[in-house]
Amino acid sequence: MAHNERFEELAALQALGLPLAEEAPDFARHLEEGCPTCEDLLADFRLAASALSVQAPLLRPRPQVRERILAALRGAGVVGTARPAPVPRAAWWLAAAAAILFVFVLWDDARLRRQREDLRSQTAQLSGELSRAQAEVARRDLRVRVLESDDVKVLYLGGKEPQPSARAKVFWSEKAKTGVILAGNLAPLPADKQYELWVFAQGKPVAAGVFDADASGRALFESRNLPGLATAQNFAVTIEPRGGVAQPTGPIVLVGTPAA
Amino acid sequence: MSADSRESDRGLIARIEARDADALALLYDRHGARLLGLAQRILGDTGEAEEVLQEVFLHVWRAAATFDAARGPVLAWLLVATRSRAIDRLRSRRPAIRAGVRSQEESGETASREDVEADVAGREWEDRCRAAIAALPQDQRRALEMAYFQGLTHQEIAETTRTPLGTVKTRVRLGLMKLREHIRPYRRSGGHGS
Repeated sequence: MAHNERFEELAALQALGLPLAEEAPDFARHLEEGCPTCEDLLADFRLAASALSVQAPLLRPRPQVRERILAALRGAGVVGTARPAPVPRAAWWLAAAAAILFVFVLWDDARLRRQREDLRSQTAQLSGELSRAQAEVARRDLRVRVLESDDVKVLYLGGKEPQPSARAKVFWSEKAKTGVILAGNLAPLPADKQYELWVFAQGKPVAAGVFDADASGRALFESRNLPGLATAQNFAVTIEPRGGVAQPTGPIVLVGTPAA
Repeated sequence: MSADSRESDRGLIARIEARDADALALLYDRHGARLLGLAQRILGDTGEAEEVLQEVFLHVWRAAATFDAARGPVLAWLLVATRSRAIDRLRSRRPAIRAGVRSQEESGETASREDVEADVAGREWEDRCRAAIAALPQDQRRALEMAYFQGLTHQEIAETTRTPLGTVKTRVRLGLMKLREHIRPYRRSGGHGS
């Protein structure tokens, strides 16, 4: 898979330790195939993210913490560059007991590590399942809130140059303050571009969010807390810089024809 | 300042790799306050943050050989290890408890900045970080802080800020890109104190 901006976005999320959910396999495969740009970005983003830490307060640890750490090392018999003084016989027993204890701690540590790895793996799996379940819940929620609202309205959007074959339907509910666009035949866009949905209320366009089409040219996008729905007259989709703009600047690819 | 306290972080890591516990103690004295502050900010609990700090330094002891200076300064390596452990703990608490940030009076002794900074290496790096963060647009900075300190996923950030998911992803990427431009020279050079 060739490098593109979506992978840069995934690198940013991964550098922050955020779950990539269903996009994780794609990104893992991309890295496995060897992408120096993404590998470089990941390392840089991790370093960049650590810059945020300077906003945390400096807190002096209690002296006991330092002692606990050094005691753990002493237990391993690794501390001290100076030659040790002669030790009384009784101390050898203590040392032997400490060594046994240390071996036990190492064994226990290894056991806990294994458990932790198992838990991490389970967590990753559960996280994927959770994401799928959340997506399903979101879809159901959408159907309840919008498609089954008694005030749901629908508008068909037709394609315009440069994408005359694009088609879409917009469902919106004033009560749910939500609009949903279901689009097809959308052309793939360069990595720095996205589709942006607009509501025309009182003759003015109101930005309603940006979305991408999938590989087959389809898109399902939900715009919540949408202002101006009560007076919505029309909807349109334009091509804009990734992230969206406050006022439309790019070509209109989809626009509705409101009922007279 | 003693001769030891002027030794670079990277020099200390090399000594730790050679099983020199004094070097670990020196590294701890140098960065413990910064790391504890970070863990406390994420977890909101000083006791738990101290456990994280302990885990991190035991990890440093075991894994000093894995430190790669080409990836950034030692402090950044320590911060990544601290944040990762603190976020693991934070997420394991959810959804029962969402970490709140307690006041410093409530949560532990706050070192005076002058007192601690005298011991903390890499101030140049920190100054550069502060400048980079201050230059971020508010929405990008907020998205990054929510992810970094609260461990929120991009979906959660989108819901909390009532922003489209795609916009949140873009803000995170652009924010990190901008921070990266400021911080990147430290990856190449290994940075001050490293």
